[in-house]
Amino acid sequence: MDILEATRQAFSLLFSGDTELWTIIWISLRVSLIALAVATPAAVVLGYVLAQKRFPGRRILVVLIQGLLSFPTVVVGLILYILLTRQGPLGSWQLLFTQEAMIMGQAVIAFPVLAAFALAAVQGADPRAHETAVSLGASPLRAALTTLLEVRFAVVAGVFNGFGRVISEVGCAMMVGGNIAGVTRNIPTAIALETSKGDFAQGIALGVVLMLFALGISIALGVLQGRGGLK
Amino acid sequence: MSALLSFLHLRKSFGARKLLDLGPFAIGTGEAYVITGDNGSGKTTLLRSLAGLEPGEIAGFTFHGVPLTHGRLPDSARHEIVYVHQHPYLFHTTVAHNIGYGLAARGIDGAERERLVEEAIAWAGVEHLRRMPPAKLSGGEKQRVALARAKVLKPRLFLLDEPTANLDGEARGQAIALIRQLVEDNSSLLIACHDRELIELPGMRRFHLANGKLAET
Repeated sequence: MDILEATRQAFSLLFSGDTELWTIIWISLRVSLIALAVATPAAVVLGYVLAQKRFPGRRILVVLIQGLLSFPTVVVGLILYILLTRQGPLGSWQLLFTQEAMIMGQAVIAFPVLAAFALAAVQGADPRAHETAVSLGASPLRAALTTLLEVRFAVVAGVFNGFGRVISEVGCAMMVGGNIAGVTRNIPTAIALETSKGDFAQGIALGVVLMLFALGISIALGVLQGRGGLK
Repeated sequence: MSALLSFLHLRKSFGARKLLDLGPFAIGTGEAYVITGDNGSGKTTLLRSLAGLEPGEIAGFTFHGVPLTHGRLPDSARHEIVYVHQHPYLFHTTVAHNIGYGLAARGIDGAERERLVEEAIAWAGVEHLRRMPPAKLSGGEKQRVALARAKVLKPRLFLLDEPTANLDGEARGQAIALIRQLVEDNSSLLIACHDRELIELPGMRRFHLANGKLAET
C-alpha cells in the first residue's frame, strides 16, 4: 500500500466514525485525563511546598523530581508490572491489564511534570503576593491558594505539558495495559500494533489525532502564555 | 496614651552587617509616626519585622497588651496589623475583589462585605475602577486601592512603606489626602517615607533611623 492510499484511508476512517478507531481515542482520553486528575492535586501541593518551605531533604526532592522528568516510561511500566503481577506485592488488587493500571502508570509519569511546573510557577511568583495575602489576614491555606491562583496560568501550563507526555507514551501503557482491544488499547499502543501488522491506515489516522492533540496543546499554551504574561 | 505596640529591643543583621539595633520603642494608640532615613537604613525591614514578614530578634514585643514572639504573628495580631508595600501588590482579579480580600479572610461575606467594600471604594475615590483588572491601573491608583484594602479592615495599626514613592503630581496628592484622613481619624500609623509633605503632616511624631538606631526629631 502506498503512503497516499494509506493516508486517504486514514481520513476515511476518521470521518466515517469507525467504532474501533473512536473507542481507541476515547480510551486514550479517558485514561490520560483521569491520570491527570489523580496526580495534579498532590503534585501541585508538593511543588508549592518545595517552592515555599525550607526543610531537610528539600534539595534531594527537587533533584529527584527533575530527574524523574526524563525517566523512561517503559521503566515505570516495568516497576508497576512487577508490583501488579499476580505474584507481586499488589497482585491481589488484580489490576494488571486494566485501565486502572494504565491510569496508575500515567499518573506516576505525569506527577514530576506537574510538580516541576508548580514548583517553577510558585518560585517565579511575585513574593509580595503571598506577603500581601498574609498581611491581609489570610490563613496559611488561603495564602497558599491565593499564591497558586496568581500563577494559575503557569500551573495549568504544567497540566497541558503533563497531558502531552502521557497521551503519547507507549511503554508503560503497553506493559501494564496489555493492548487489549476495546479495553486498554489506546492511541500509542494501537499505532505500534497496526504498524507492525502493516495496517498503516489506522496508524496514520491515530497519528493524525495525536498530532491534533499536540497542536491543541500548543495553541492552548500559547493562549495561556498570552493571558498569564508568560514569556 | 496607652501603648498599642511596643518592644524592648529589635535587632536585625544581614551576615556581619547589623542593620537594626533598636532600643525600647512604643507606638501609642491613635498616634501617627513617620520614620525617615537614608535608603538602606532599615525602614522597610523595621516595618516588615513588626508585620511578622521578616524574621528578626525582637524582645519584649507586645501588641495590644498581648506578648508576641518574632516571626509569624498570631491571628489576633495579624488581623489587627496591615502592612502596605512600597509598590502594592494587587491580586489578578478586580479592584473590588482586592478590597474585599481581607474581609473574606475574616469570614465576612455577602451583603456585609459588599457594603464595606463599597464604602472603601468611595473613600478612596476609585468607583470608576471597581471592575478593572489591576494590570490596567496606574501607580497612584494602585496605591489608593491598597490603602482602601487596608482601611476596610479597620486595623489597629497601619504600616505604610513609602506610600508616595514614585508618585508625582495628582496621584501623590491623592495618596497624601487619604493618609491625612487616616491621621485625622486617629488611626495608628507607622509610615516609612522621604516625602516632605507627609513628614510635615500635623499630628505626626517624627523619627529618624540611622546606623540602626531610632531617634525622635
